[in-house]
Amino acid sequence: MIINSQNTRNRIAYAVFLLVIVVSGYFLENLYYLQLLTFIGINTLLALALNMLMGYAGQISLGHAAFYGIGAYGTAILTVHCHFSPWLALPAAIAVAMAVAYIVGIPTLKLSGYYLGMGTLGFGMIIHILFREWSSITGGASGFIGIPPLELGPVSFASGRNYFFLVWGCVLISFIACQRIIDSRIGRALRAIHDGENAAAAVGVNTRALKLQVFVLSAAISALAGFLYAHLVFFISPGTFSFIASIRMVTMVVIGGMASVWGALLGASLLTLLPEWLHAFSEFEMVVYGLILMLVMIFLPRGLFRGLLDIYERTLKKNTH
Amino acid sequence: MNAPLKKIPTDTPLLEIDSVSKAFGGVQALSDISFSLMPKTITGLIGPNGAGKTTLFNLISGIFAPDSGDIRYNSRSTRKIKSFQLVKQGIARTFQNVELFETMTVLENILVGHHAQTRSGMWGSMIRFPWVLAEEQRAREIAMTLLDFVGLSDHAHAISGDLPFGWQRLVEIARALASRPRLLLLDEPAAGLNIVETLQLGDLIRKIRDQGITVLLVEHDMSLTMEISDWIVVLDQGKKISQGTPRAVQADEAVIAAYLGTGKKDES
Repeated sequence: MIINSQNTRNRIAYAVFLLVIVVSGYFLENLYYLQLLTFIGINTLLALALNMLMGYAGQISLGHAAFYGIGAYGTAILTVHCHFSPWLALPAAIAVAMAVAYIVGIPTLKLSGYYLGMGTLGFGMIIHILFREWSSITGGASGFIGIPPLELGPVSFASGRNYFFLVWGCVLISFIACQRIIDSRIGRALRAIHDGENAAAAVGVNTRALKLQVFVLSAAISALAGFLYAHLVFFISPGTFSFIASIRMVTMVVIGGMASVWGALLGASLLTLLPEWLHAFSEFEMVVYGLILMLVMIFLPRGLFRGLLDIYERTLKKNTH
Repeated sequence: MNAPLKKIPTDTPLLEIDSVSKAFGGVQALSDISFSLMPKTITGLIGPNGAGKTTLFNLISGIFAPDSGDIRYNSRSTRKIKSFQLVKQGIARTFQNVELFETMTVLENILVGHHAQTRSGMWGSMIRFPWVLAEEQRAREIAMTLLDFVGLSDHAHAISGDLPFGWQRLVEIARALASRPRLLLLDEPAAGLNIVETLQLGDLIRKIRDQGITVLLVEHDMSLTMEISDWIVVLDQGKKISQGTPRAVQADEAVIAAYLGTGKKDES
């Protein structure tokens, strides 16, 4: 049956993914590359979070950096000001992000299309201003210094290698959790909302509750990414969680491919690596960056993942003929 | 061919439309409509374009609330019940323009139709409790049975948007049946079908009724409607102008006048 073969294919994909993580984690000597891959992991979490909302449920958010920021500032404030253990700050920060998503989601998710985009955009800006202006707590525009490194008993995550494993472990678990949701009745209902919200309601899907749930889930994963970011770089500033960051998240999802967890990985990788590769172009960096994104969208309109899959299948067909 | 039921059904009605009115802006879409649906019957709702048939469907399925009057399902008012909850209570519908989830497979469409009858949530799906997997397995079996019923089990894994139109209609009916309805609302199910497909559709609707499901049918294809309906309600310009057995309605002068556009509209 197709279901089983799909399941097997998923298992193989995750096994390969795990193998790649372990091998690159053990054998990469260059710390620069390890750190770059760690950043890709954090961005993959962000892309995955937004993909659940945008790619599957079809609800756009132009303010998702807010949840990323709540995760980062949440753990910063709790560990530095309140002397929490980071492992206590993590669930607390995620819970705050989820609560904010819930409260914001109730009125905002009644909107759709452009209006939902505008609503979430406004929300993102408010949170960004809060990070910048509430300087007694957040450190204001100059940023928040002194976030402690992570330790778990004898294991210190101060080393690049351990942090790499921590981040990619989170990515792997989030991937599997999201994949399972997608393959379930909830995932089907989310895709049904994407295809036709009225029809979904007419066949018995509580569309409002479900949109809210996936928004909250998405906020939780974004906050996890924020937590990992804060304890990786020890210093955060509001600029990282601005409107531009939200747009970057949307770009990762669209470039990588909507409605695919692997698309999130590809989109996050490309958008993290491109600026590194393009240093050679110095002042033309942004021009080339924009150009590449345009070309990807023109020639692979369904995103990198689908596009590359299509090309692969086409060459396979050509070779068998 | 089934002869229409001779007797007027005397059970308690499954659905009662009680003096329902609905206006959109200045247009009175429905005024003071009353009729009942008896269990396990096919009722045909007919009338010229703009008679208010689809509006009535939207009221019954909870998309709008009536301005005045009441709709009672199982003797309980549906006024405060949201449309997705009505599905759970047993009212399912199809749409005039077929609204499938086009990027999803046929099987997935049916499974979404079964959504209201299942209950695993996000956590359950993430952790995959044994009962979640059992529920999913059962849902798939039910969905496959329904695909068998409409004759599309060979196409379970096709993308629904790629199917020919006639099959999409059948998928939509199967999707509605997947919610285990007691009342099925079919909005012009024969529109866009050829003669053979229409005949098969008639047989299918009868089979659905024979399973104990009450059917309310809006349809422009008169020969289909007259042949399969046990009872006919005729609307014209938002008013009910006639009801009765197909034979009685066909002979009603008010109905003939409404369709041919001559004379005595205000009779009945």
